Amino acid sequence: MRQGELAVAVAEAAEIDNPGKEILVEDKVAYLRIQADDEMIIHRKTIEEMLGRPFSMNELEVELSSFAGRIDTHVDHVRFYYSKHF
Amino acid sequence: MAVLSRMDWYDIARTTNWTPKHVTEDELFPPELSGSFDLRMEKWENYDEPYKQTYNEYVKVQREKDAGAYSVKAALERSKMFETADPGWLSVMKLHYGAIPRAEYSASTAEARMARFGKAPGMRNMATLGMMDEIRHGQIQLFFPHEHCPKDRQFDWAHKSYGTNEWAIIAARHMFDDMMTTRSAVGVALMLTFAFETGFTNMQFLGLAADAAEAGDWTFSNLISSIQTDESRHAQIGAPLVSVLVANGKKAEAQKLVDIGIWRAWKLFSVLTGPVMDYYTPLEHRKQSFKEFMQEWIVTQFERSLLDLGLDTPWYWNQLLEEIDSQHHGMHLGVWYWRPTVWWNPAAGVSPEERDWLEEKYPGWNATWGKNWDVITENLLAGKRELTYPETLPVVCNMCQLPINQTPGPAWKVRDFPLVYKDRTYHFCSEGCKWCFEEEPERYAGHLSLVDRFLAGMIQPMNLEGALKYMELAPGEIGDDAHGYAWVEKFRAAHKKNTA
Repeated sequence: MRQGELAVAVAEAAEIDNPGKEILVEDKVAYLRIQADDEMIIHRKTIEEMLGRPFSMNELEVELSSFAGRIDTHVDHVRFYYSKHF
Repeated sequence: MAVLSRMDWYDIARTTNWTPKHVTEDELFPPELSGSFDLRMEKWENYDEPYKQTYNEYVKVQREKDAGAYSVKAALERSKMFETADPGWLSVMKLHYGAIPRAEYSASTAEARMARFGKAPGMRNMATLGMMDEIRHGQIQLFFPHEHCPKDRQFDWAHKSYGTNEWAIIAARHMFDDMMTTRSAVGVALMLTFAFETGFTNMQFLGLAADAAEAGDWTFSNLISSIQTDESRHAQIGAPLVSVLVANGKKAEAQKLVDIGIWRAWKLFSVLTGPVMDYYTPLEHRKQSFKEFMQEWIVTQFERSLLDLGLDTPWYWNQLLEEIDSQHHGMHLGVWYWRPTVWWNPAAGVSPEERDWLEEKYPGWNATWGKNWDVITENLLAGKRELTYPETLPVVCNMCQLPINQTPGPAWKVRDFPLVYKDRTYHFCSEGCKWCFEEEPERYAGHLSLVDRFLAGMIQPMNLEGALKYMELAPGEIGDDAHGYAWVEKFRAAHKKNTA
């Protein structure tokens, strides 16, 4: 995620929406690398809570400069995943 | 009135395949342009794009992105970044702007090919948006450097380079034409969107954005990372296509095109991205080494994506992993040495403290590449700058169009990988480049490298002056050491201290 308010909100949402998973956040100045093993889900509602304002899931794209593996886009959540475990 | 959620209507709205009655399927989708691999239309309808977006959403999101990029530029326009930036950093920008923006228009053509000739409806929708993305990238990256043109005409190369026969641009154009303008819709999807955009563009548009942010160039950092948000969407065109091909027994064909795409991208990035990250970016602003960025984005992230989709790592993977330690050092040395032939001012990046950094990041650098720089440094210290210019031509690879080079020192193993095809001997820098040629010889045969053109007498007079004229490098544009050789004085001071 590009550095900024939304990236921070997503990093926080990642912790909440992926219970039991270790979320690793690396600050690369221009971007935050937010990582989890194999799969990460982010809910729109959680982002809204973190931002304190309404949020449309596809607005994520404004700051989503890269992601690993595959993506599933939905109206109320987005899922990043690998289909194979290594 | 109740409005359906996008997910409830997206699939049906974009399912636009029909059964042609007045023409055959092959007339509607000529295999040459579609790259259909003998798969009929219904097979392609299983293509399920993961990153779904409608035109409405697209316009809204893109507007927001542009508003962000342009407002950062406007806010910082009076910041005197240009006047205060390290000359090495300005060279980073010049190289980027010269090599990239007009290639974005080629990318737009490539996306347009998928938008028209892709047999999968979802692919056509994503590519329509991708086509507009690439027009944005062309326009915005021509507009941003334009403000610098009155101060420094090397910035004019943002627009000029692609229409010239300057050697680095021949290399870039050869690679981009190969994967963008001369491939079928499926070829573009595999080579451009999958091999190139899910992997390598992260290096130039995010890795470099990290360096730019460290260097305080927020306009550039913000611009290129914003561009990458478009890439991360339309790069997803390729992945579901790989799934369709693998499911229909076409894995080998898909693997081949992906392998060619990765190898060719690697070679170009070894000259485009490697030197700027490890030599031009001021030492204190280097976020990571080029090798570390390669490990982050390509070795770790991209390799796993390949395997996840059911492809294998390319046959040359070990060779590539070896090269990320060394290849760009040779490219950098060559670019600096032949510096009058580029439109930017290469920063040597080999002051005493920079050499320490290089040794730390690339153990053995001093005993290998460092030896070449020792000679250059000694000549400059002795006031013999003329000895630091080339008197001969490099041997250029007939695939990547870049100088053939290997790590110098006792283990020097530079060699040519020649191939005779239809009575002409082609020279390659590596097994990878030779392999690309052998896979599709007719695609590449006949192309003349800059050195071939020189030897054929197409460049007159046959000296540096003739070469500069041929490459359209005018006075004021010709490259020279970025810091005016000031770094050499640090060695002089150290010598004096040692002898005092």
